[in-house]
Amino acid sequence: MIWRTFLPRLRATSQVICLLGILLLFLATDYRGEDHIPYPVSLLFRLDPLALVADLLAPGAFHWQLLWPAILLVIATGLFGRFFCGWICPMGALLDGCGVFRKKTAQPPLPRKWRRTKYYLLATTVAAAALGVQLFSLLDPLSLFLRSLTISLFPAFNWLMNRLFDGLYALDIGVITEGTDRAYPLIRENLMAFHQPHFQLSVLTFAIFAGILLLEKIERRFWCRNLCPLGALLGLCSSHGLVERVPTRICPDCLQCESDCRMNAVQSERNCRSECVQCMDCLEYCPYERTRFLGIKAKPALTNIDLSRRGLITSVALGAIFAPVAHTAPPVQRENQYLVRPPGAVAEDEFLRRCIRCGECLKVCIGNALQPALLEAGLLGLWSPIVVARHGYCEYHCTLCGQVCPTGAIRELPAETKIQTVIGLAVIDQKLCLPYARGTECLVCEEHCPTGKKAIVLESRNISAAGHTKRLKVPQVVPEQCIGCGICETRCPTQGISAIRVINEGETRHLNSQQ
Amino acid sequence: MISRRTFVKQCLATAVAAGTLPVIPVDLAAFPLNNSPPLAVRRGEDINRLVRQTIEALGGIDRFVKPGSTVVLKPNIGWDRRPEYAANTHPLVVKTLAELCLEARVQRVRIFDFTCNDPRRCYVNSGIRDAIRSLDNSRVRLEHINDRAWKEVAIENGRELTRWTFYRPALEADHFINIPIAKHHGLSRLTLGMKNIMGVIGDDRGRLHWNLAQALADINSVIQSDLTMIDATRILTANGPQGGNLEDVEHPNTLIASPDIVAADAYAATLFGFQPDQIESVVVGAERGLGTMDLEQVELV
Repeated sequence: MIWRTFLPRLRATSQVICLLGILLLFLATDYRGEDHIPYPVSLLFRLDPLALVADLLAPGAFHWQLLWPAILLVIATGLFGRFFCGWICPMGALLDGCGVFRKKTAQPPLPRKWRRTKYYLLATTVAAAALGVQLFSLLDPLSLFLRSLTISLFPAFNWLMNRLFDGLYALDIGVITEGTDRAYPLIRENLMAFHQPHFQLSVLTFAIFAGILLLEKIERRFWCRNLCPLGALLGLCSSHGLVERVPTRICPDCLQCESDCRMNAVQSERNCRSECVQCMDCLEYCPYERTRFLGIKAKPALTNIDLSRRGLITSVALGAIFAPVAHTAPPVQRENQYLVRPPGAVAEDEFLRRCIRCGECLKVCIGNALQPALLEAGLLGLWSPIVVARHGYCEYHCTLCGQVCPTGAIRELPAETKIQTVIGLAVIDQKLCLPYARGTECLVCEEHCPTGKKAIVLESRNISAAGHTKRLKVPQVVPEQCIGCGICETRCPTQGISAIRVINEGETRHLNSQQ
Repeated sequence: MISRRTFVKQCLATAVAAGTLPVIPVDLAAFPLNNSPPLAVRRGEDINRLVRQTIEALGGIDRFVKPGSTVVLKPNIGWDRRPEYAANTHPLVVKTLAELCLEARVQRVRIFDFTCNDPRRCYVNSGIRDAIRSLDNSRVRLEHINDRAWKEVAIENGRELTRWTFYRPALEADHFINIPIAKHHGLSRLTLGMKNIMGVIGDDRGRLHWNLAQALADINSVIQSDLTMIDATRILTANGPQGGNLEDVEHPNTLIASPDIVAADAYAATLFGFQPDQIESVVVGAERGLGTMDLEQVELV
C-alpha cells in the first residue's frame, strides 16, 4: 500500500526540510541592513522544552511570550508521542544522515539499562535547576547542535570559502576576476559571514560535536537512545499519548524490528512507547504489513522505561547536592573584573540559569565581540556569552543579541535604552598607553568613542618620557559617560594587551537588581 | 586584517615596486603649484544643484573624468551615524557626483570606504546605500572593501612611512575623486581631504597617528586626488570625527572643490575659524609639494 512507503518518505523529507529551515534561519541570524531581524531566528529554542524548564525554574517572570511554542510542543508530544525526535530535531536528522555511512552488519543492541542514563541525566539536571544551577545547556541537543554550528562549523565553512575566493582572486585572469568580483559580494552577503568569525572554544566545541556523531558507530541513534535529556523529557511526556504502534510487541515469527527499528523501541514484552520517535520505518520494512500507528486509549507505560527507583533517587540526590556545592564557589563576578556580559543581560545569577548556551547571540554579534566563556565566568558559565573587547566591540547602535535570545537571558533593549546601558567601564593602563608611557601622540580611543558626549577626552599634560618633558594630549576616561562598549580596547594600537580595558564596574543590570 | 599573504606580497612588492610606482599618476604639471589652482566655493541648500554648480564652476566634470574610464568616489562613510550627525559625507553629494560621472559616460563608478564601525551599518545609516540604490544603474557600485585587494606599495620620499598597504581599486582607478566631510578632530584639529585618504589604506591605521601630518602627506603622495570636493553642507565642530551630538553640528551649506587638495583643505579650515597654517596637515602638505595653502594664490572660481 502506498502509504507504507509514503509516510517514512514524508518523515525523511520533513527532517531534511527542518534541517534546511534551521540552517536558513541560522544564516538569517545576522545584520542584513535592518536594525530588527524580521525572522524568528531562534524559533528552534523557543520550541525547546528544556529551555522551558530552565525558564520555569529560573528566578524572575516566566517568558511565555517567547516560549509558548515549547508549551505547544509538550502538549503535542503528550498527544502524539516523540515525533519531534523523529521528524524535526536537527541533531536527530544529522545522526540519521551519518547512519548512511554505518556498516549494515547487524550488531547486538546494547543492554536496555543504558537507556536509563538519559532519564537519570534529566533527573539530575532538573534537581540541580530546581536548586539554582542550570546544567541543561550542556546536554540539550538543540543547544549542542546550534552552538557547534556557530562556534565551529560555520566559521570553518567560511574559512574554506574565503580560501576558495583567495585562490580565484590570485589567479588574476580577467574573466574569472570579473566574475568573482561580481559573485563574491552576493555570496558573502547571503551564504557567508561578513567578517570571518573567530571563536575561542572552537576546537573543544567541535570535539564534543564530533564525538556525538561518532557514537553512531556503536549503535544507531546512540545519543538519542541513551544520552539525550530532551529525548528523555519528551519520552516522559509521550508515555500516555494517544498514538501507539501496533503490534504492541515484537512478533515472534519475524523479529525484523529487533534489527531495523532505529530506536530499538520494539520489545518482546511490550514496545517502549516513550522510545518510539514515530519514524514510521516499520510501516515500510515490515514484510507482513502488520504495522499500524493508531490512536488508542492511553495506558500508563512508564514501567517499560524500566527505571530503577534507586537509580532515580541517586540521580536526583546528585543534582540536589551538586547545586549547593556549586553555589559555594567564590562569586566569579568579583574575582574576574573582566567578566563583561552583553547589554540587556539579566543579573548574573539569573543569567546563568536562563542562558541555554545556544550560541544565537554569538552568531548575531555584529562585531564578533561575544565569545563563549571557558572558565572566565566560572565552571558553571561554560559557553555562556562574554564580551571580549580586545577581540571585538559592542556596536553602539546594535541591539541584535537581545532580539535573538530565546530565553530572555539577554533582554531586548530599545535602541535608546541600549546606548545608555552600562556593561562596563574603560580603564586606562598608563604603563602601556602610548602618550603616557612613551610620550607618543595617539588618540585612537578618543576618536572611536561613540557616546554623544565623549567618554574619553583628551587633556593636555606635561609628560616625561625618555628623559624629555613635553606637552602632550593624553586620553582620560569620563566614567559617567562610559558604557563599556569596548571599541577603545578593540582599536588600541598597542601590541597584545590593550592599554585601555573594559572592566565590569557599574553594570546597569546589577544596579537595577539592587533597587 | 592583513592575511598571511602579506609575507608573499612583501617579497613580490619589492620586486614589483619599481615597476608599479611610475604608473601612479604624479601629474603635477596639470595643476602647476604656484600658478593659481582653481577653487570653487558654493553655498546653497539644494544639494543636488549645489554639487552641479560647484563642478560647473571648475569647468565641468569632463575636466576631471574621461569617457570610458573607471572613477573612484571616496566619500567618508566611516561611522554608523545618520546624515544629520555630520559624521559622514552627505548621501546626495555622493549621489550627484555619481550622476555627473554617468553623464560624462564613464564606464564605471566605484564607491567605497574602509570604515571604522561595522561597514554594513555605516553604508546603510549614512544614507549612502539607499542614495546609490536609487540611481539604479549597474555602472555605479557601492562596494564593501574586499580583503584580498590590498597591495603593499613603496612610498618614494616618504618621511614617516616608507611602505604601506593600499587598496588596489583606489590605486588602479583612472580618476580618484575625494569627497570628505569637514569635521573637528581631537588630535589634528580638523579632518579634511588629506585625512580622508586614510579610508583607502590598510594595516594598523592607528599607528599613523603617531606623526599624523607627515604620514598623511606620505599616503597622499601615493593616492593623488584628481578632484577634492569637501562637503561642508553640515560640519561637525566638536566631538569629531564621529560626533553623535546634534548640538555640535553647524550648517554652512557649503561645498568646496578644487583639483588642489591642500587648497581645498586650507579653505575648509577657515569655515571653522582657523587660519590654514593652524592645521598641521595643510602646512605639511604644502611643504611636501602636494598643493597650495596660501589662499591668496588660489584662483577662486
